[in-house]
Amino acid sequence: MQQVEPINPPVERIPESTNISIRVSLLSKFFLEVASFSLFMLRFFKEVFKPPYEFNELLKQCFLIGYKSLPLIGITGFIIGLVLTIQSRPTLAKFGAVSWLPAMVGVSIIREIGPVISALIFAGKVGSGIGAELASMKVTEQIDAMQVSWTNPFKYLVVSRVLAATLMLPLLVIFSDAIGLFGSFVGVNLKDHVSFYLFFSQIFQSLEFKDLLPAITKTFFFGFAIGLIGSYTGYNSNKGTEGVGEAANTAVVFSSLMVFIIDMLAVQITSLMQS
Amino acid sequence: MKSESSNKIKLGAFITLGLAVLIAGVYFIGEKQQLFRSTFRISGVFKDVAGLQAGNNVRFSGINVGTVENISIISDSAVNVVVIVDEATRKYIRKDAIASIGSEGLMGNKILIINPGLGLKKGIEDNDRIATEQPIDMDDVLLSLKTTIDNASILSSDLAKITKSIEAGKGTIGKLIMDETLARNFDSAIVSLKVGSNGMRLLMADAQGSFARNFDSTFINLKEASAGFKILMDKAKSSWMLWGF
Repeated sequence: MQQVEPINPPVERIPESTNISIRVSLLSKFFLEVASFSLFMLRFFKEVFKPPYEFNELLKQCFLIGYKSLPLIGITGFIIGLVLTIQSRPTLAKFGAVSWLPAMVGVSIIREIGPVISALIFAGKVGSGIGAELASMKVTEQIDAMQVSWTNPFKYLVVSRVLAATLMLPLLVIFSDAIGLFGSFVGVNLKDHVSFYLFFSQIFQSLEFKDLLPAITKTFFFGFAIGLIGSYTGYNSNKGTEGVGEAANTAVVFSSLMVFIIDMLAVQITSLMQS
Repeated sequence: MKSESSNKIKLGAFITLGLAVLIAGVYFIGEKQQLFRSTFRISGVFKDVAGLQAGNNVRFSGINVGTVENISIISDSAVNVVVIVDEATRKYIRKDAIASIGSEGLMGNKILIINPGLGLKKGIEDNDRIATEQPIDMDDVLLSLKTTIDNASILSSDLAKITKSIEAGKGTIGKLIMDETLARNFDSAIVSLKVGSNGMRLLMADAQGSFARNFDSTFINLKEASAGFKILMDKAKSSWMLWGF
């Protein structure tokens, strides 16, 4: 008697031993990446203090990373301030506390929203840019060419970009905070009539140094992480043209994740120091 | 080359402006915390600071004049509060000023309020300790409010009972309002009173006529009597029996 072939043949089960080996391989790949990233960071700290210093490249990167990002971060800051004010107003109005709006929005923007939103926008624009740029240089063997011509590519490409990102993000956050507060002022005046002086007086009345200084300090770490992750993904890209896109994508994803992790740690450290 | 120089100028302007904004922010926050002003310290001892924290505002006559610098426990029932006050307000604060703890609105931060004294004593000096008033504890307020609400509840329940009794026509007021017999009696009493008053009016009218007539005749009699008396007196005067009087 002829046996009928089943229409859907049973899926072949992956042997248990193969499953374990895949997991081990993934884990070892993860540890390898962590080790590689740590060595990359150590090399950065070694190279940053070692002469010669690439000041011109640093200034160029500061211009490209900082100055050129200002319009994007400024517009985002303004919209965040405006929207936060408009959205918070009805809730405060329920308690008859509309006069607290400037203070509430001011503290929110300075402490958290300004730094984090600016860092995320920065990660999207600058992190991906650094990743893609360095990856394409790697693919087109420009980095190898630099090495051949006795130029230290790490110092010239990585150190300058990471330093520029570290120094420029705090400045961008200061601008973003100021523009965001102005957006909030516009938001308040859509419904109420509050003078410029009274609005900012209420904001500064509610702010303390313990709000401003930790918020600005953590942006140095945000900038450093974004610059370093962008540089790492681009500098170590090795999949040809496909790797350029992957490097940009990985840079944005990991930088954004790192921003939140640093933010969480910063909040914990700040609250521990204040208690 | 020109473009590179222009970029550097733009970058320089960007960094300068950013730092200027940061410095302005730091200055304004410091200004609100009296960091860039000449100040002096005073202190007060409270039994309970009701959540007052270092950094909270200090008010004098409703104006923010300083901040709380330090709060420390000095014994099991005493908390020392040190405040920094703007030097410009020193001349208005006397040694008999009283510090109390208030709140910025219902949900706001705690504040330290300096109430001006009677102005009888000298001006305050650095590190002086001023008298304090214990803050109103919200728990006490709530307890008092609860007692008031309990009393109101008893009152309303009693009022409900009274209303029910009145509705049932019980008691004097109940009868007064709800009993129709009383109203009818009252009605008939009014009618009787009306009839009585009419009768009285007629009686008075009659009495008024007879009285007038009697009054008239009395006067005529009196007049005649006085005329007779006059004649009698004249005759008596001319009589020899009354000579010498």
